[in-house]
Amino acid sequence: MSEDQDKYIAEVVEKALRGDMDAINNIEDRVTRSKAKAALIKAKRLSKTAAAEAAPAEETAQTDTTLTEKSLNQKVAEALAKKFSGSIDSEDVNEYIQLNGKNWFEIAQYLKDNPDLLFDSLQCITGFDFGEGEALEVRYNLHSMTHYHAIEIRIKTDRNDPKVPSVEQVWRIGDWFERETYDMYGIVFEGHHNMTRILCPEDWEGWPLRKDYETQETYHGIIVPKVKEGWE
Amino acid sequence: MGVVHGDLMTLNIGPQHPSTHGVLRLKVKTDGEIVSEVEPYIGYLHRCFEKHCENVTYDQVIPYTDRCDYIASMNNNFGYAVAVEELMKIKVPERVEYIRVIVAELNRIASHLLALGTYGLDVGAFTPFLYMFRDRERILDIFEALCGARLLYNYIWVGGVSHDFPNEFVETVYSFLDYFEPKIKEYNELLTYNKIFIERTADVGVMPPEVAISYGVSGPNLRGSGVKWDIRKNETYSIYEKFDFDIPVGSGIMGTVGDCWDRYYVRMQEMVQSAKIVRQALKTIPAGNVHQALPKKIRPPKGFIYKRTESPRGDLAYYIVSDGSPIPFRLKMRSPAFTALSVLGEISQGWMMSDVIAILGSLDIVLGEIDR
Amino acid sequence: MTVDNLINWFPFGAEWPVITFVTAVLICAIPVFLFIAVYALVAIYGELKISSFMQDKVGPMGQGVGLHAGKWGLLQPVADALKLILKEDIIPESADKKLFILAPFVVFVGAFITFAALPFSQEIIVADMNIGVFYILAVSSLGVIGIILAGWSSNNKWSLYGAMRSAAQIISYEIPAGLSIIPIVMLTGTLSMQGIIVSQQGIIWGFLPNWIIFNNPFTFIAFFIFFISGVAECNRTPFDIPEAESELVAGAFTEYSGMRYAFFFLSEYANMFVVSGVAVAAFLGGWNSPIPGFMDSPSWGLFWFIGKSMSLIFLMIWFRWTFPRLRVDQLMSVCWKVLLPISFVNIFGVGIWNLLVG
Repeated sequence: MSEDQDKYIAEVVEKALRGDMDAINNIEDRVTRSKAKAALIKAKRLSKTAAAEAAPAEETAQTDTTLTEKSLNQKVAEALAKKFSGSIDSEDVNEYIQLNGKNWFEIAQYLKDNPDLLFDSLQCITGFDFGEGEALEVRYNLHSMTHYHAIEIRIKTDRNDPKVPSVEQVWRIGDWFERETYDMYGIVFEGHHNMTRILCPEDWEGWPLRKDYETQETYHGIIVPKVKEGWE
Repeated sequence: MGVVHGDLMTLNIGPQHPSTHGVLRLKVKTDGEIVSEVEPYIGYLHRCFEKHCENVTYDQVIPYTDRCDYIASMNNNFGYAVAVEELMKIKVPERVEYIRVIVAELNRIASHLLALGTYGLDVGAFTPFLYMFRDRERILDIFEALCGARLLYNYIWVGGVSHDFPNEFVETVYSFLDYFEPKIKEYNELLTYNKIFIERTADVGVMPPEVAISYGVSGPNLRGSGVKWDIRKNETYSIYEKFDFDIPVGSGIMGTVGDCWDRYYVRMQEMVQSAKIVRQALKTIPAGNVHQALPKKIRPPKGFIYKRTESPRGDLAYYIVSDGSPIPFRLKMRSPAFTALSVLGEISQGWMMSDVIAILGSLDIVLGEIDR
Repeated sequence: MTVDNLINWFPFGAEWPVITFVTAVLICAIPVFLFIAVYALVAIYGELKISSFMQDKVGPMGQGVGLHAGKWGLLQPVADALKLILKEDIIPESADKKLFILAPFVVFVGAFITFAALPFSQEIIVADMNIGVFYILAVSSLGVIGIILAGWSSNNKWSLYGAMRSAAQIISYEIPAGLSIIPIVMLTGTLSMQGIIVSQQGIIWGFLPNWIIFNNPFTFIAFFIFFISGVAECNRTPFDIPEAESELVAGAFTEYSGMRYAFFFLSEYANMFVVSGVAVAAFLGGWNSPIPGFMDSPSWGLFWFIGKSMSLIFLMIWFRWTFPRLRVDQLMSVCWKVLLPISFVNIFGVGIWNLLVG
């Protein structure tokens, strides 16, 4: 209420922020003490958001508790570099491992069968388009049901002739996931036994999820409606 | 191996059929009554949800997620909201967490009721279907009082929920739970332990755990095969660690581990566990403002996230890539029913035509989720 | 009122035998046909309402006695019948037209002519043959031919499936049915329906009516075997694989619509009545009253016969809405591995019992 009180509260909050909680706990007046505690909480919140804003723009979803995961990625990267040299494309393995598509089938089998890694579950295959005129990418999310760890693998491929080895024989769900990625992006998975569209009709033209996709004019004589303007 | 085959007859269980749980086409090659190959054809309900998401803002995506798995919309919204919140590092108030768990578990009960009721219909039992729908109606009435919609809720938003509880909501839910828990006993007497039902489903469509994991099957289908894996416990999210509940696992009581009866029974038990969770949540729900943490503009920082949650059908995951703008750059929804359907061809070989329908029913698929 | 009585009654019977015979038959057949039609309406209405109450629904409402206000929905079956009659008659182009048209009639005839030997009352029976039971069992198999014709001529894989399953099922279940009737014949010494019923008059043990079902434990079991086989012969749940809606759409009758479908429907209900009627006549005393001396005169016989048959039909409706359905191979194994041995044991049992006790 009074200015002295505000100044006093600001002082003890400063002390508490530096770690000295006794200053607040020793305040005798109950009202002042609770005000000081409230001010401390507010100050902590403000400092956290300030710190978040000041953090580098490339913040990712991985938090600090992924120390073990970091070492998992590094462990896997080292093992792969040793066994299949030349297959890792990028040095930065914090969040994902970038492979270049050579030997992907053998790497997949290695990841699945190696007793330390045992990635026996392919969770998701996502296709990715960096933009018009740029590369396409396939991202694999692997998970182990025995060791309970997870990893992400990315393989870039050329936009005009996208080919990636198929892992359908390693994880049986690869069959349908790869067909879906083919359907949406046009990435051909070599070695797949039935590389056909799965969601769109068999004779659909174009790769819908690419950034430069234009819907075809007609389909079997029916006019395909365009996206409405002014959507947002 | 010494078996004489005549010509295989190709049958079409076409897109319009009373029991394919949606528009699904199955091409079945049979030798008389024994099935030798089943090939599912999907895509009849494909609306390219992922392309839509690249054109709307993050909060406008939520009604789209409703329409993917339209039977368990709350869980779809939940998974998406949790993923975006983790990407943006938003912490929601306690009350919002409790509300989300309550509606998600109630929706799990409703979804399982539908799955089990239609499964009974597939094997010929007409009455349990109506009893289960009668109870599901009560849950839908609860949801209608809460957010105005019966099936597609658009309720769980990024950073909070859309409406707080109306008056006397807690009493309504308590009275529903008191009404519902004895009904499980009624269903067990009518269907679960019925000799004819057991003959139709036990030992049929056995899915060994290795096949299940390789095909990415999750949820009650995987737990029916004996694998104790539930994302609410193993990779816990929201406040599920505060609640005390079991994970029912199939153990081959009536036949082999991983048969249709096990999957049915796991779903039955999960309803009991969900009711338990809702009771605990209602007892300890704190007060608060549910709109407190709703962000004014959702602009996640640049990055990506792959977040898994447990929907009634299994492991629902969202892979979101953000480039700093208010519109998602890439949003992929990994649906559990997609993987569950892919395993149909494998586990239905060698069974009879009626068994294919029974196996399909036990996998509990929703075409909206498969086709997106 | 039997055909014989009518022929004797005609004044000029001796001079124009053919016309007399045909007229007598017609005079007896038309009431039976009307009875089947009315009974079918009642049974359909009963099925709708009973199933609704069992499933916690309300069923057909309105159209009450005062129209629009009742809770009985009594005109519902009439509306159903009208709808079926007025529907478009569709014959698939690639179907075998002659057989397609013939099939419903064969099925219906198979069900209809068994009514000739059903003893409605002491005096109401169309043909009091001295091989009544044998005739019924023999003639009721005619329906199978109709179903196979329907399935084949539809030129549709689903119909074929349904027809094959149905044929296999009906033929298999005829055997336990027939074998359970044999103890009756052994006990009463006659194949004639009226004779069997007459032998069930009286009281045993002071209060129980002298029905064959209470005679000895083997006939008690034989009743259940006969009833189960009868349910299977009518293609009712739990044996309704041929018409399994969730698997085969409508089985053998997928391609039929309108009046032709109505005929199949009608014959299914007629079959139900025949099965119930034979069970009642053979095991439950026929047109005898349960309490001899009470409502026992010949005119009450009709009431008792129809009443008992209707309660068995109620039981069939109850089964349909309670049990899931059996798979085809389980159905067959129930017939051949369970019902058949038990019926053999029954025959021996009744014979030995009769020797020792009777």
